[in-house]
This record gives sequence, C-alpha cells and structure tokens, in this order.
Amino acid sequence: MIAALRGLRDRMLGRGEASITIPIFDGALKPNQVLEGAEVVATVDDGNDLATDGRNLFVADGARILRIDGTAREEVARFDRVVTALCRMPDGGLAVALDGAEVLVRGGAADGRRWTEADGVPFRAVNAIACAAGGTLVATDGSTGRDCSQWTHDLMERGASGRLVALDPRTGQARTCAGKLEYAYGACAMGDEILMSESWRHRLVAVDPDRRRRTVLGRLPVYPSRLVAAANGGFWLTAFAARTQLVEFVLRETAFRHRMIREISPEHWIAPRLRSGQSYLEPMQGAHLRTMGVLKPWAPPRSYGLVIRLSPEGIPRYSLHSRVDGIHHGIVAAAEVSGALYVLAKGPGRLLRLSIADMEKDLAT
Amino acid sequence: MTTPILELRQATKTYGGAPAIENVDFSLVEGEIHALVGENGAGKSTLTKVMAGVVGLTSGAMLVRGREVSPRTPLEARQLGIAMVFQENSLVPSMTVAQNLFLGQEKFYNRLRGIYIAAQQFLQSLNFDVTPTATVAQLGAAKKQMVEIARAVLHDARVIIFDEPTASLTPEEKKYFFDLVRDLKRRGVSVIFISHALEEALQISDRITVLRDGRHVVTDETSKFDRARVIQAMVGRDLSKTLYAERKAHARPPGERVLTIENLRMAPMVKNNSLSVFAGQVTGVFGLVGSGRTETFKIAAGVLKRDFFHGGEIFLRGRPVRYLTPAPAVRDGIAYITEDRKVEGFFETMSIARNVYMGLLAKLGRRRPFVQAREAEAVGKKWVEALNVRAIGQDVKVVELSGGNQQKIVIAKSLVQEPNLIIFDEPTRGVDVGAISEIHQLIDRLADEGNAVVMISSYLPEIMAQSDRILVCRQGKIVEEFSAREATEEKIMYAAIH
Repeated sequence: MIAALRGLRDRMLGRGEASITIPIFDGALKPNQVLEGAEVVATVDDGNDLATDGRNLFVADGARILRIDGTAREEVARFDRVVTALCRMPDGGLAVALDGAEVLVRGGAADGRRWTEADGVPFRAVNAIACAAGGTLVATDGSTGRDCSQWTHDLMERGASGRLVALDPRTGQARTCAGKLEYAYGACAMGDEILMSESWRHRLVAVDPDRRRRTVLGRLPVYPSRLVAAANGGFWLTAFAARTQLVEFVLRETAFRHRMIREISPEHWIAPRLRSGQSYLEPMQGAHLRTMGVLKPWAPPRSYGLVIRLSPEGIPRYSLHSRVDGIHHGIVAAAEVSGALYVLAKGPGRLLRLSIADMEKDLAT
Repeated sequence: MTTPILELRQATKTYGGAPAIENVDFSLVEGEIHALVGENGAGKSTLTKVMAGVVGLTSGAMLVRGREVSPRTPLEARQLGIAMVFQENSLVPSMTVAQNLFLGQEKFYNRLRGIYIAAQQFLQSLNFDVTPTATVAQLGAAKKQMVEIARAVLHDARVIIFDEPTASLTPEEKKYFFDLVRDLKRRGVSVIFISHALEEALQISDRITVLRDGRHVVTDETSKFDRARVIQAMVGRDLSKTLYAERKAHARPPGERVLTIENLRMAPMVKNNSLSVFAGQVTGVFGLVGSGRTETFKIAAGVLKRDFFHGGEIFLRGRPVRYLTPAPAVRDGIAYITEDRKVEGFFETMSIARNVYMGLLAKLGRRRPFVQAREAEAVGKKWVEALNVRAIGQDVKVVELSGGNQQKIVIAKSLVQEPNLIIFDEPTRGVDVGAISEIHQLIDRLADEGNAVVMISSYLPEIMAQSDRILVCRQGKIVEEFSAREATEEKIMYAAIH
C-alpha cells in the first residue's frame, strides 16, 4: 500500500523511479574513442565469448571454438549447438555452455561432465562461466524464461529470474548461489566472493560463500556484461549497451511496452541493441539523427561499445569507448593475453586488440 | 614621471598603540595605474583609507598636487578628487542601482525617471550590463562591484582607489574592467589598484608598491617585476613554486563515487545538470558567474532546493537524498564552505572559539542541547592551532581578523563536523598569498586522506594547480570535463564561454 502511494507520488512529482534520470559518463567513464581506434584482429560472424589460458586466446564462434594466434585461426572444438559461454579451466579443459541450456566440460580431469539444471530448475540462458576457488566453476544463467538470444525480451518484460550457480566438476553438483537476479551476465572470482554483473539493475554485486550479497559498483550508465580478471589485479568489465532516458522511460510505461512487444518487430523496439544504424525503421532516439550521411555524435546511443578497467576493489580506473557514431558496439567479452587486451565486439562481429601498456600510459590517472 | 598628484610622506597610522602602517612613503603621478600589493594585514587597506578620508594619519603628511591636506571624511576626499571603491560593498541594498549611483547628489525634487535614464546611458557608456531599475539586493556580487565602479567614475574623481575590484568578476567582466581602467588612464585619471591576483597587477599597472607588515618594502616599474619577485617581496620567502605548481604529473586516481547528481534542475540557474564527485580527489569546478556551479552544489548541501517537479536526483554513496535544509546534509558528512564568508560564513561579533563550536553544534544537533563553554574553548584552541590561525587568542572576534584568517575560521567551522564531502566555494577569494598556500595545502591534505573535495573557483591558475579533474559549467550545466593532464587554460575558458 505504502509502495503504491509512493509510486503515485513519484509519478506526479517526477521523483524516484519516475524521475527517469541516468548517471552520466564522467570521471573514469569519460568517453573517448579508444575502442573505435583499436586494431581489428579478426572477423567473427557469431562470436559469443572469449577465454584464455594466459598464452592462447579462444573464441566461441557459433558452434565452434577457435584458437587465434596472430592472424592464424585453428578450430579446437565443434559442437552441435551454439556456444553461449566459454571458460578455460586450469587443468586444460574447456567449460562451455551450449545454447544456454547445458554446461559441458571438454578435456581436462572432468572431461564429459554435464549440467542441465541447478536445484531442479533447468538452465535457459547460461551466458558466462568462470573458474572459482577450490576448482569449482561459477556460471550465470541470465534468465530462466528467455533464451540468450532473447535478452531484449527479458529486459522489456522486466525479467528478474536470473541466477548465479556454482558447479563442482568433481562431484557434478550444481547449486544456486543467488537467485531472482535481473539478468545475471558475467561472473568472476574476487577473493572468497564471486563478483557478478546484474545487467538490468546496472550494477556489480559480490556474493560471499554464505550467499550474502553486497553492491560493489552501482548506478552504472550502462548494461554491464562479462567480467574477467586483469593480470595486474582488478578486472575488465564489458558493457554491451549504454542506458538512455528514452529506454528508461519505455521501461516505466508498461502498457506502451506490452503493445510494442505485441505489435512491433523486436529489432525495431525502443530498446538497447548490439548494433544500430542498419535500417531506417529503427526508432529515433531524441537527437539520434543522420544528417548528410553522418550520425550525429551527440545523439543518445541506441548501441554503444564500452570496456571498463576496475581496480581490485571494483572502482573504475579508466574506460575504453566506441561512441554513438562508431561501429565497435555491443562489447560482450574481453580477455587479457600477453600484455594485450582482446575485446569481442558482437555488434559488427569483430575481435579487437589493444596494447595495455599504451592504455595505462594514456588513460590511467 | 611628473609631479605627484597624490603623495604620502612617512605616513603612520596606529590603532590602540599598534601601528597598521608605519613610516610609509607613497607617490602617485597623474595618469598612472599604481598597484598596491601585500599580504592581508600588510596595511594596504589602511593606507588607502587614509587617502580616501576614512581614517586620519597618526603622523606623517598627505599631499595633493604638492599641497598638504588631511581629509577627515570621504566627502572631503571626494572634493579633493579622490574616490574609493571599497572591497566590502558600500551600496544601499534596498535602493535601486540608479539611486545608488546618484546617492549624495540628490536635489530638492528628484525625478526618478530622469535618473533612471541618466543611469542607463552612463552604464551603457561603461559597457556594464546592469539594469538601473534593479534593486541592489537582487544583484550578484559581480554586478554590485560594477555599480561601485560606476559610482566612482560618475563622481569624476581624479584619483580612484580600487580595493580588490576583480575578486568577484568573471574573466569577461575583468576584461571590460581593465579596458575601463585603461580608458580612465587615457583621460588622465590616476588609479590605485589593490589586488591579490598578481597577474592582474603585473598586467595592468605601471608601477607596483609592495607593503609588508605595515611597512613599505619596494616601489618599482612593473616591467622590472615578475611574479616571483613580487611574491618574495610580499611574504619575504619564495612561494612561487608551491603556490600554483602544475598538477599534471601528480593527479590522484578516482576513488569511490561519493556524490552523483543526475538531471538536477533549479530554474532558472541549474538546467538538467549531471555530474559525479569521487573520493580521494579534488574536483575543480570552473564557470563564469551565473553558470549555476554554486547553485548546483548548494542544492547538494541542502542550502537551496531543487525544482519541486522533475527536479532530478542526488545520490550520496548510492543512496538517494533530498535535503530540504543543510542540517541533514551536515549529518551525512557534507560540508559547504561558502564563497561569501562575510554574509554566510561566520558570526562576526562572536569569538573564534564560539564560531568553530557553532559548526560542531550544527552537526550534533539534539545531542548537545546546551552550550558547553569548556568544550567550545577546547575545540576553538584545537582548530586555531591546526589551521595556523594568526590571532592574539581564540577569544578574539572574527571581525577583527584578516581575510585569510577569517577564511580559515569558516573552513574550521565546517571541518569540525568531520565531513567526507567538502565543497569549497571560492576558497581563496580575498585571501593573501601566505594564507592561499596554507588553504591549498589543506585542500590537498583532505583529498589525500580520502575525502571527496570539490573546489569551485573562478581563478584558472588555482583550478589548474589544485584539481585532479576539472568540470566546466556553462548555462546551468556541466559541459566539459578535463583530466589534470589534458587541461589547459585555453581549453577550460573556451568550454566555459562557447
């Protein structure tokens, strides 16, 4: 009752959730064009995730896994379904998620181990796997209602069925560490805790062994995705889209949203995308206009590219951007190999490489 | 140089036996711009007050065109052709701009419309954008200053003394002011110019006189001075390397995001403003007068209120806050140190200790229902020592302190609350170089200790020297952000104006 009255007051006065305010990119998130100027290493048509053992880079491309060394690429595994998440295990095995519905270990001590559910609930959208303490794996199941490819549906339906699960390759056990998450997308070990992205709430959450949660980094101006550990401590966080006030407004307007879902093709919804500017039917967002063939750089972004360097405490140190007029958008994964940062831009289907030493010199305060 | 239009010989003025100026020689020639510089308490104001007839000399002589005079009132001085534009505002706040301009020149029958037209024409001739019908109380500090200057020019003075005329002016307004001073010079008017901004003194004056501790140190052609020599003469030690040193190589990395402002609105000053402030950093905020920078942070500190409808959101360490008064903001660790210390900063007739204690009471609220004299003494003593306040004792009234020491009291009044977000608004305005250095060191120390520090300043060298990141505010919102490494004065100014 009180919440309903508060909601009514907020709608009248434009406060709280109804204020539709979003944080700006400032401080360590100040925009630049570093991602846009990154070297393009390879084109991957259906790239979903990256993994590394410290020397080699593995790319999940559709149903196959490629090892990329310079310009050479070698297929190291092929599956019957799309690989939606990938993790290189310390014993040399590869943990993969197939179509988001099954986690499978290939190679290493736990070769052949499979999981299709945790605590009786089947996997639906496993989108990230990471190694955790004690030889276990952690995975994020974005939604139990929608497949990985239908993440926009989950956002527009304001889904909150994501979860973080712990998988034990030795025993085959799977248990839920955190549930009712608004699209869990990416996890990484942080001491005894697991650091996890919750995309629709724009935050990073740490879950301790007793399943207690604490917000490490909140109110991000983006939809965060995967997290990987950085060699010099801290993390790399990718973000597949930036928030806009228009999308926030649509998310608040339930009737409009339901009608949009019912009547309009998903690629033309007012929703974040991994790429944009492909069709004139795309919704214009405020000033998002093309004039004389040039997309105005000051327009609010429909798609965006961003990687954030985090300190060991989870505080942003600097960030790499591809802005609204760029093309390296929809960043879903990053991996650090031999002093270089590899970034997977799912929007244009490109694998990018950046020198970490150069970035530290130019961007770190 | 020709015969001095104004001269002081062995001028001494004592207050209660203590000399404010002692055996000072000073001369001003016709059509000269003469800068008078020195730390607060050096005797600049006393010297100029003697010239303007505000106070009389204890010993020594004052000569106008070679004739010994001793003006006993400002009116007598004005009749001798000497006018003074005071550092403290001397306008009547309840009267209009035009009425203030013509104050003292009233006739038996005054036609209001006539003086408005005359004032309008006169202000336009000076290129001052001030409405003559506006009440002075409604004007900002910069426009009040313009009215003061206009009044001195209107009185057709042959010697005009400006005491800190540019302290509250924006860079654009300063340019107008300097043009005006040069125009006065062309017309043969002599100008005495007191300023703490040494670049201005070096830029505009023909000669510079330096005072220290009430004594004359040096007078010389401006071309023979540089910044380091002036500072050394003022303080007796070399501060030039520490005062506005480059920060580029020593910028601090951002810590936790302490304050987030999203789409803040307060018509007509703040328009959809968004920014963040991080722990362990000094965030410098630059902008012209009227750019909404002070109002934005006053809203954050609960001093002003945002718009009632769709006023935006403020988050303190991720928690939404909406302060209607400053008290809850103080309890949450926000300190706003005002730009206008004389009006908002302290109780001038109360002692240093009581003023500082007042800050603590604001934080403790109901937990200190009664004033505890011993605690007040202890708190006052602690902060007088901590901030090196130069006073005879903590029982001294704040009004009796110099500008720099008054500013330290205002700062102490906030720091006693142990805040972790400290907003300094023009922290060194009207403060001498020695105190500026100490205040800068304090700001650095607060940031090094992990506090989030905001420093609003109109003085670009200060912004460049102190800030780890610089936000530029224009027309009610932040329009640009620079890291210490990439910032230049040109870039900042361009962002602030265009």
